[in-house]
Parts: sequence; structure tokens; C-alpha cells
Amino acid sequence: MRYMLLIYSPEDSWTPEQWKECVETSSGICQELAEKGQLIAASPLHPVATATTVRVRDQKAIVTAGPFAETIEQLGGFYVIDVQHLDEAIQIATRLPPVKKGVVEIRPMMKINGLPPEQFNTEPAQAFWRQYMFLCYDDEEAWAKAGKAAHESAIQEAVKLVSRIDAQGMFISASPLHPSTTATSVRVRDGHRSITDGPFAETHEVLGGYYIIWAESQEQAMSLASEHSGARVGSVEVRQVFDVRTLNLSTTAQ
Amino acid sequence: MQPNSADPVHQQIEAIYRDESRRVFATLAKLLRDFDLAEEALQESFAAAVVQWKSEGIPANPLAWLVSTGRFKAIDLLRRRGRLDQLSENLIQHRESIDSRNSAKAAEEIEDDRLRLIFTCCHPAIDPKVQVPLTLREVCGLTTEEIANAFLTSPTTMAQRIVRGKAKIRDARIPIDIPSVEDFPERLQAVLAVIYLVFNEGYSASFGNSVTRADLSAEAIRLGRLLVQLLPDAEAIGLLALMLLHESRRVARSDSAGDIVLLEDQDRSRWDHRLIEEGLALVEQSLLTRNFGTYTLQAAISSIHASSQRAADTNWQEIVRLYDALQAIHPSPVVELNRAVAIAMRDGPEAGLVLIDEIVGRGDLQNYYLAHAAKADMLRRMSRLSEAKRAYQSALELAQQEPEIRFLQKRIAEMNHGTS
Repeated sequence: MRYMLLIYSPEDSWTPEQWKECVETSSGICQELAEKGQLIAASPLHPVATATTVRVRDQKAIVTAGPFAETIEQLGGFYVIDVQHLDEAIQIATRLPPVKKGVVEIRPMMKINGLPPEQFNTEPAQAFWRQYMFLCYDDEEAWAKAGKAAHESAIQEAVKLVSRIDAQGMFISASPLHPSTTATSVRVRDGHRSITDGPFAETHEVLGGYYIIWAESQEQAMSLASEHSGARVGSVEVRQVFDVRTLNLSTTAQ
Repeated sequence: MQPNSADPVHQQIEAIYRDESRRVFATLAKLLRDFDLAEEALQESFAAAVVQWKSEGIPANPLAWLVSTGRFKAIDLLRRRGRLDQLSENLIQHRESIDSRNSAKAAEEIEDDRLRLIFTCCHPAIDPKVQVPLTLREVCGLTTEEIANAFLTSPTTMAQRIVRGKAKIRDARIPIDIPSVEDFPERLQAVLAVIYLVFNEGYSASFGNSVTRADLSAEAIRLGRLLVQLLPDAEAIGLLALMLLHESRRVARSDSAGDIVLLEDQDRSRWDHRLIEEGLALVEQSLLTRNFGTYTLQAAISSIHASSQRAADTNWQEIVRLYDALQAIHPSPVVELNRAVAIAMRDGPEAGLVLIDEIVGRGDLQNYYLAHAAKADMLRRMSRLSEAKRAYQSALELAQQEPEIRFLQKRIAEMNHGTS
């Protein structure tokens, strides 16, 4: 069973030393998970200041600088893990350093057919390509009203978009998430762990899925993001992913 | 099932359905990892039992038969819907090995599955508002209507909560299992909290339908017994003792008009001495483990009242000592308030009043009606009636439930009488 762990913390709360320590600890955990065959992918994201958000309304793309929602705690990274059940995911979440400052939201991933194989840990076709993550925020109520068929056809449209991206050698990974009602949030404060039902923040639009792709620029990434079916109903936030291959402590201390 | 009460096999199946069906459900839910499918398979399994047991007789291990049949019915259900996915394919692959193990599966092991199910329904990743109805529905087998009625909510709201809980278990794959050693203490606390919540819903100064509410307390005690039987943890024992000791006073705590009768005024011959005896033995058993916590200490306090023949015989010194212990392991203003009341009983109302003023003066419990009611009671006993009346009035403004309100109004009337 796959879960996405979304790491939220206040970006400005990290000193360079803490950040370095966090990266070291996280790398150790990644290595351990990889040895157990539980790690699919993990990466920090570039700061939220570099985010752009796109919405498509009346066939026009509306691009805004910044993340989809202004929150005190920002999405700073993600893990995709493959474990037996939620308790194992919670145990891993509890060990991640940001859980002490912010919150780790655990989202079960939805399995869909028709996606090309994932391309994590592979080289880009062009050396200058960078990794981008599309965070697809959906209005779950609107989708519920639109009905199952509408949702299914939106997913099929997304699968087609993925195939086009894959044909250009730019696909890395994509998946819808189960609805936000299946989310679990984990926090650790003063050594005490709290587990709560629901996503970390109550927002009208909620994270419903993601894409990770290669693109030559933020503009190209934005253009692809605007083609995502959900952009017509919700929002797609585009964030550059730290290339894990180049992730070393000197470049990430900020 | 069709009513055919004359037939002895049918009667026995009905008895098994009434008493044991949730055990079968728990095992099916664990095997199938889908509550809805397990529920359907359970019904089909019992339907098959009606036909087959009549011709072939009741099997040696009816529960194992029902589980085994239920599992095959589930596979049939999935096949008919064309929903045989990987999970069920695996199930078929393993059907022989599961089957051979299952026919040998002892009744206790099936009982363990019910315990697993309690842990699942009380998982902290499930909204606390959902945990209670989900446990009552899935573990106890109450209907959605019964639960809604007991909690004074609409069946639609309750059904939505239960559906949400089931979806969370299925989609987020909350394990149907006993938690790992490291999570165990925290998870057990969550289970105990849900059971005690169910009990208190059924016990608190009755609003709503009092018959249904007494049923809730009975369900909580049933769950408590199950937990103690499967998992004799000191606090599980303590909680069961606490519930039994409270329950023993159910009929004596209100009069025929539904008005509150205070502990000191209760007719102690109306207490259920069978429950008291059981509760006292459990308190003893838990205290001996030296591993007890707040539930056991509360039960120990309750046991002192339960074993005092008359209110005047109460050993308040011992009660104060127990509140001290409770305050040491779980400090809270409510415990402090109760301790102050015990001190007032031991040393006189003046000593208690000083302590209560201190607690309320700090800002704690200002909105807690019992703090004002306790203060009023001390003042009344000190014959400071106009001050007592004011405190009763503060309590009245905060009280929510009808019997509490009537009780306070009666006291205020007495104060008026005394001061006029």
C-alpha cells in the first residue's frame, strides 16, 4: 500500500544548522527505508517563494505567483512509501525531523490503471532539465456534485496528459490521492505524539493528486500544468523539486 | 432470517446470531479488510446456515463454520460483481491454507478478532466523533437508528459518520490488528476512553430516552468485560470496576420523579450488591498489580462509597488519600475540586471552601457548574445562606441538563425559605 507523506513546517523556523541536521537524519531514514524496499521516492521542494499557481477558467490560464494557499506552515517536501498499513506509515512519519516543528500529513494513494512506469532515479534526457512537482488542489465538493462519471473522465484525461508527457521523455511519476477525509496528520511536541484525523489545514480546495515531471523551465512546467483537467475546477501549484542527485549539504544550507 | 421459532435448529441459529454474530463479523472484517463486504458475507453465511444446518445438523464449531462459509460467500459476492481484484485473487489462492487453519481455529482466536476490531474502530486516525458510533455499530452490532436515538442525533448524521469511519479504515488501510508493543499503551488508552465515553453517555443525568441510554451503559460494560477477558491489563480491570460500581447505583440515584438523589441521601439497600461485589474484587485485583492508573484510582474511590453501609461511615481520610494519588499521576482542576469536597467532608466545610475559592480564583472551572454547586453546598452547610444562594444561582446559569436544573432550583428555593 502506497502512502504519500507531505511535510509541512514553517520555512522560516529552520536555522542552517537545524536544516543540515534534518537533511542528514532524513537521508539516513531514506537509506534505511530503501534497504527495506519501502521507499519509492523522497525529496525536499524549493521554497514556497518560488511557487507558481495556475487555474484555468473559461479556457484561460490564470497564473499567480506564490503557493495555492497562504499558510503558516508550508509544504517543504514529500515521501512516497510502500508499507503494509497506516500504522507503519505513522511510525515512519513520527521519525521525520520536521514532525517536531510542523506536521506530517499521511495520504493513501489511489491506484489507477493506464499510467506509464515510474521513472524515479533516472537521468533526464537533457542535462539542463529540472524536476517539477504539480500539486493538484481539487474542490472535492464540486467533484462529488459532478458525479462519478465526470471524475472518471477527468482521470482518463489526466492519464492521456501523462502519456503525452511520457512520450517526450519528461514523465517521472503521477498519482491521485484518496480523498482528504482519509488523511491522517501526525505532530510531535515535547516528545508527545498526536495523531489526528484529517488533513493538516482545512482549506476549501484540497490536495487531490500530483505529477512529477522533467521540464526545461518553470514556464514549460506551468504550460503543462494548465493542461491538467483539475486546473479547470481547482488549482495546480507548481514547485521545483530538489534534484536528489545533486542534494548535498553545502548546497541546501540556506 | 424468516421467523420459524418452533424449530429448535432455527432457535439455536437465532441465539448464535444474537450473541455471536459480531464475533464472526470481526473475523470476516479482518480477513476481507472491508467492513461492508464482511457485513454482507455475514448475512449470507447465516442464511446458508439456516438451510444447511437443518439438513445436516449444527456443526461442532458453529463459529468457525460461519467464518469459513462467510469467506466463500464474500468471494462469490465479488465474483458476481466482477470485482475480483488482486486482494481477492490472493484470497482464493490461500483459500486452502486458510481453510485448513480456520477449521482448527479455536473460538478464542475468533474472539481475539473482536479485540482487533475494537482497536481498529478506536484508532486515533479516526475522528473521535466517529470512533464511538463506529465501535457501537461494528463491534457491538447496534443499528444506526439505535445509536442515533441514544445520542439524540438524526440517523442520517450517524450513518454519515459511520460511513466516513469505514471508508477511512478501508482506504487508508488502518490495520485490523492489535497494535505494536510501542503503540500499545497509547492505543489502549484510546480504547478505554471510548468505552468510558459510551458508558457515561448512558449514565449521565438522563436526557433522551432513558431505556436506550441504560442499554449504552450495558454495552460499555460488555465491552469492558470482553477487554478484561482478553487483555487483563490493570487499567482495563480498573475501568470495568469503575463502570460496575457506578452502575450499581443507577436506580438509587434518581427518585420516581426523575430528580437527582445525592450519594449521601441514596437508599443504599437499593444499590446492586452483586455488581458492587464484583467491582470491589476487580479494584483489589488491579491495585495488586501495582501498575494501575486513573481508572483504577477512580474505581477505588467509588469502592469506598460502595462498601460504606451508611453515608456517615464513609472513610473520607482514605478518599482524600486516593484523590492525592490521582492528582499526582493525572493533575486536573476537576480532581482538585473533588479532593476539596472530600476534605470538606473530613475537616468541615470551611476547609473545603478555602480550597474551592483557590481553584476558581485561578480561573479554572469558572464555567463548570459543579464547582459553583460545591461551593454553594459548603456555604449552605456553614449557614451562609445568601452567599450560598448566589453560588447556586451561578451554578444554575451553567447547568445544562434538566435534572441538574431542577435540583439547583430546589436548593435555591430552600435558601429563600431559610433567609426569608
